[in-house]
Amino acid sequence: MNNQNTNKRIFSVITQTLKMHPVIIVLLALIVIFGSIYPDRFFSPINFKSILRQFVTLTLFALGPSFVVLTGRLDLSFVGVWMLGGVFVWLFKPILGMFAIIMIPVVGVATGLFIGVIQTKAKIPSFILTLSLLVTYTGLSALIAGGYPRAVEGYEFITSPLIPLIPTAFLLTIPIIAAAIFLMKYTRICVYLNAIGSNEEGAQLAGINVDKYKILAFMLSGLFTGIGAMILFQHLGGSAQMELKLNTIVWPLVAIVLGGTPLTGGSGGPQRTLLGAITFTVFYRGLYLSALHPIMVPLLVGVLLIVSIIISARGLKGVTVT
Amino acid sequence: MIQEKVMTRPKLSLEWLRSIMTNVGPFIFVIAVVTIFQLINPFFLSYQGIITLIYAMSYFLIAACGLTFVILTGSFDFSVPSVLRLSALICVLYIEKIGLLVIPLALVACLVIGFVNGLLLAKFKVPSFLATLGISIVLEGIAWYLTKGHLALMQNETFRSLATFFIAGFPSTLYWGMGVWIICTFVALVTPFGRRIYAVGGNLEGAGLSDINVARHRIYVFMLSGFLSGLAGVLYMSQMGGGSVRIGAEMAIPLFASVVAGGTALTGGVGGPHRTLLGVIIITWIQAGMAMLAIGQDIQMLTFGLIAIGMSIATIERKRIKIVK
Repeated sequence: MNNQNTNKRIFSVITQTLKMHPVIIVLLALIVIFGSIYPDRFFSPINFKSILRQFVTLTLFALGPSFVVLTGRLDLSFVGVWMLGGVFVWLFKPILGMFAIIMIPVVGVATGLFIGVIQTKAKIPSFILTLSLLVTYTGLSALIAGGYPRAVEGYEFITSPLIPLIPTAFLLTIPIIAAAIFLMKYTRICVYLNAIGSNEEGAQLAGINVDKYKILAFMLSGLFTGIGAMILFQHLGGSAQMELKLNTIVWPLVAIVLGGTPLTGGSGGPQRTLLGAITFTVFYRGLYLSALHPIMVPLLVGVLLIVSIIISARGLKGVTVT
Repeated sequence: MIQEKVMTRPKLSLEWLRSIMTNVGPFIFVIAVVTIFQLINPFFLSYQGIITLIYAMSYFLIAACGLTFVILTGSFDFSVPSVLRLSALICVLYIEKIGLLVIPLALVACLVIGFVNGLLLAKFKVPSFLATLGISIVLEGIAWYLTKGHLALMQNETFRSLATFFIAGFPSTLYWGMGVWIICTFVALVTPFGRRIYAVGGNLEGAGLSDINVARHRIYVFMLSGFLSGLAGVLYMSQMGGGSVRIGAEMAIPLFASVVAGGTALTGGVGGPHRTLLGVIIITWIQAGMAMLAIGQDIQMLTFGLIAIGMSIATIERKRIKIVK
């Protein structure tokens, strides 16, 4: 009897989790599909390592913007923070020595503050503001660095192998993820951001200082992107990047939407982005290993983005989408 | 926001700045651009210089007109450069096989893409920015698939003369650009269709209540944008005579900047194609003037990013909007 009860409870917990995070089904399905088509290649240690490496890249880029997406806005400036921060590290290395890497979070927070203030006070749609800022940052970093990537030495310890098969960058990512989840679970910020995302007028009438929390969301995004970019800086080659690629901007967005944070805001958050990131990585690696032409992969990523937004927008009524 | 309703007097500084910027600003901007470049580079307004400026602005004007219609309804079309690239590549890759029939083929393909964009926004409730971003990625994949990464050259003389044929001292691409601009202005300001687009952009719910089929008009606008981007792509290929998947890679922000620099607000319902001409002149002449002075891509990107941010702050109508996302 007791045994049956526990079984029932476990079953209900599982169904509840699956209802909350339907993407888990997709993840399992993807693993089963790719695993059954080419088991020896998909379950190889090298593929495991690449999945972890790519997961780190995607998560660190996507964690920050998830805070902003929670309020129904978009923050595309993350690639810009990474680029401009990298250039500043190169620029300030002779003056600050090893502490130059601090420049990346500084750039991140400053960017977040700037975007937040402009967005709330001047009322410009966030996606276009952050996109313009991203392009400005690209131009600025190319201007400062003289037009080509500058390698910076001295931070190799970030990627030096500690445990076989698990990249050190992944270990360094864990505290950042924990901090994001802590913010979402044990502080009031989560409630407020959700309230703003689901009904901004209502949130204001309820006495929440909406502008303050919107600016805070952008600053949190900048801070998390900045701290993540410190790891990514070495993880992605140890040099400041110059070229703006559409893929780098879109993949984190796919991870956010796939994880179950709808772009209209009001539910989800960084903890779901992790699921989205791992699902997207498995999807991408699986396609990468397959016999498909490499050109087809980005094409399918675009389709995945649109399909996941359509699914996440189901049942929206009374919400005007522009 | 509640306080704003009570206060009838607008905030003087920003509202005043907005009215100045949208009405007089573009003219001052154009004069400033011309004066500065003419002072630095005396060949800026020579005959050869003007021909360069015309080549830089004409196809751009057509694409910007399409984007203006989309921004007028309050949406955004990120896929304009990708659609332009697709149409240019279709022209260059298939002209050997089917001759000049490639032009209608390319235009129909672009029309279909515009339709898909509009459908995603109007029926599936995907925010237009992300829908078009996703479509851009798909189109980039298709462009890679079509060209296999090679540079393609246009050999057909008839096709080349489409934009480069000289009439009365100016290349024909100028007449294409101005013709499309005049038609767009006419459509936006005079026809009932244009009024309905302004209504949709000005107040979506109100437009729906006054018996305008909002969803259908949104789709129309995206189809128009796709069609005009396709036309711009045909002219681009005709004047450039070749290209690869890199076509239009850096165009997204200059395009957007030219629309807002002309005075069309991002919130919709304010501005129009008639204003976009000045914006396009500002942006493309800065671009061409900088290229004449051998100023690099980095400074250009920096300039256009700052112009885009500054002009969107200056043109947006804050009184009317409550919540912006």
